[in-house]
Amino acid sequence: MPERPLQRISYVEDDEDIQRIVRMSLERVGKMTVDVVSDPLTAIGRMTSFKPDLVMLDWMMPGMDGPTLFKKMKLEPDTAKLPVVFITAKAAQRDLDELQALGAVGTISKPFSPKDLPDQLRAIWAKLP
Amino acid sequence: MNTLANGIDTAEAGAAAAITADIRDRADPALVRADRVEQLYSQLPLGMAATVVIGVISAMELHEGRLLELVLFWGSLLGLVVVLHALLYLGYRNDTKRHLNTGQWLRWLGIGAFAAGATWGFAAAVFFPSHADERQVFLAFLLAGVLSGGIPMYAASWPVFAAYAAAIALPFTYVLATFGNRLFAEIALLIPLFYGVSVAIAFRLNGVFVSGYRLRHAYQRQLIELQEARRQIEASGRKLTLFAERAPIAVLELDAQGTIHDVNHAAEILFGYAADELIGHSAKRIVRPKHHADFDREWGAMIANRAPVAGVKVRNPRRDGIDVVCEWTVTPLVNPDGTIISVIAQGRDITAQLEAERMKKEFTSTLSHELRTPLTSIIGSLQLINAGVLGEVPKDVTELTEVAERNGQRLLDLINDILDIEKIESGKLTLVPEVIRVDELVREAMLLNKGFGDRFHVRFQPRGTLLESEVTADRKRLLQVMTNLLSNAAKFSPEGEVVEISTEQANGILRVGVHDRGPGIPEAFRARIFGRFNQADSTATRQKGGTGLGLAICKRLVEMMQGRIGFQDRDGGGSTFWFELPRHA
Repeated sequence: MPERPLQRISYVEDDEDIQRIVRMSLERVGKMTVDVVSDPLTAIGRMTSFKPDLVMLDWMMPGMDGPTLFKKMKLEPDTAKLPVVFITAKAAQRDLDELQALGAVGTISKPFSPKDLPDQLRAIWAKLP
Repeated sequence: MNTLANGIDTAEAGAAAAITADIRDRADPALVRADRVEQLYSQLPLGMAATVVIGVISAMELHEGRLLELVLFWGSLLGLVVVLHALLYLGYRNDTKRHLNTGQWLRWLGIGAFAAGATWGFAAAVFFPSHADERQVFLAFLLAGVLSGGIPMYAASWPVFAAYAAAIALPFTYVLATFGNRLFAEIALLIPLFYGVSVAIAFRLNGVFVSGYRLRHAYQRQLIELQEARRQIEASGRKLTLFAERAPIAVLELDAQGTIHDVNHAAEILFGYAADELIGHSAKRIVRPKHHADFDREWGAMIANRAPVAGVKVRNPRRDGIDVVCEWTVTPLVNPDGTIISVIAQGRDITAQLEAERMKKEFTSTLSHELRTPLTSIIGSLQLINAGVLGEVPKDVTELTEVAERNGQRLLDLINDILDIEKIESGKLTLVPEVIRVDELVREAMLLNKGFGDRFHVRFQPRGTLLESEVTADRKRLLQVMTNLLSNAAKFSPEGEVVEISTEQANGILRVGVHDRGPGIPEAFRARIFGRFNQADSTATRQKGGTGLGLAICKRLVEMMQGRIGFQDRDGGGSTFWFELPRHA
């Protein structure tokens, strides 16, 4: 388990409504600092400057999907080791297995409960080495 | 080897075996005996006529120097035998069921033959000793004649002949042996030999007759069977032609080189070619050129293996250039010597089916993603408001946002249930089995559903001590089953009631029961309670929520985990829903 508490979250999501809910959930309920990125193509640069503890990625986004962004993150020294949690509406076990295989530390299915989202992320954070 | 080829093999082997076996064994013994009796009786008129003629000549010859009364007595005796034979003959001919009473008619004939023989034997005994030499020669000649004449008469039954001949030979032998003349004594010694040879000849002739009759009946039977087989083959041929012509699938007959020899009407319609445009051409005419190499390889393998191939999906170009996707079954018809007679290819157009499957998949994906994404925003927003994250909200507004959240959740449950049942029924749901402590699972389920119970003012409570036994199951899916049973129990229990959860085990099976005090399951609903979109009272769906898919999903999930699910009435009112799983060893 990491020594410091989970504090800084970078969230890449194209849907503005969900962005707003996640931001509200993490900031107001979880008391965390959130950087929401709408465009996956600029996400790596934003992460490099924001320096998050954990990254949340949507799966299906225009321009670049979540798994592709994750693979690109792994190629960048500043983002390669960031723990990634996927938040996705895809429900098939095959899809979730694919994310695990890529190295995602967790998956959260849409729709999620904004009340419980911070706790879910903290539970994943607690299991990290 | 394919079924058709096997069929041909079997038929050929059967025919060969039938030829090898003695065909006469196929004759019905009752019919053979009826033929023999018929043969014996058909000889009777000739026998009677010969008896009368020989009897008259003998009487005229023998009466000289003898008592006329004795000759008359013997003549009367012979006449009586002839009359009795005539009656026997008429009786046989008038018996419509004579072919069924062959045993009886054969016995009567045997008695008649013995009586005729005895009459001639009587002549030998009475007339031989006292006659002059020339009459004795006449008598000896006469007796030898009537005895040997009996061979063709009674050849169809050697025992009948044996009885007839014995009745002649025995008295004659006795007379000769006791005559006091050495020559006659020597002749007396020869008569049994003569008798034995005659019976042996009759026995052989009898064998020839029987064999002939058996052959006749066997061939008759064979002929009937062949006619029946021919009729069946013709009927099958007509049926097959009809099937091929009227079948909604394309049927092509090809040779081993892949040249088309015949096509049915459905093939013409499917590929847009007239039969003449396909017959005489290679099957490659309905295969895209870029796939010709693949076609040659697979066709060659099928021909080499002499084995059918099934379920081969091929994109076939129609005459108008549009592709149709066909699922082909190709069957080589093989002779026992391995020669390919022809190849039958049956193709089913699955273009529409594939399109439907693609649309279904797309629909499922849409359900999964496009509906769940907006629901995330709706339910998430309402949850944040209802949780007070945005501060105090007027009571009336809270009531409405709670209604909206509850119904958003209901919509989500419906989507999830539809996705689940679709995944289960298409075989796409994979379980992740792990060893689970049942008491822990029950407590987790109670905790997860506490909020739901509170909403209906129902409390979940373990009955007694929960077993610490383990089962191998998918935790998430088993929790889904438990959640379903607990939420159903809460929904249908009166306010303030307690829903009990019990665990029991016996014979390596662990049973978890959920006991409610609800209205019970109506009799008419019991048979379809685990069906899809089923609720006892459809108004309950609107009042209490639920999709009517929950128990159908539970049943399939439990069965996928090698268990079973059921329900029973609870003592004192209410129902008990239970599921059983094999205990982890």
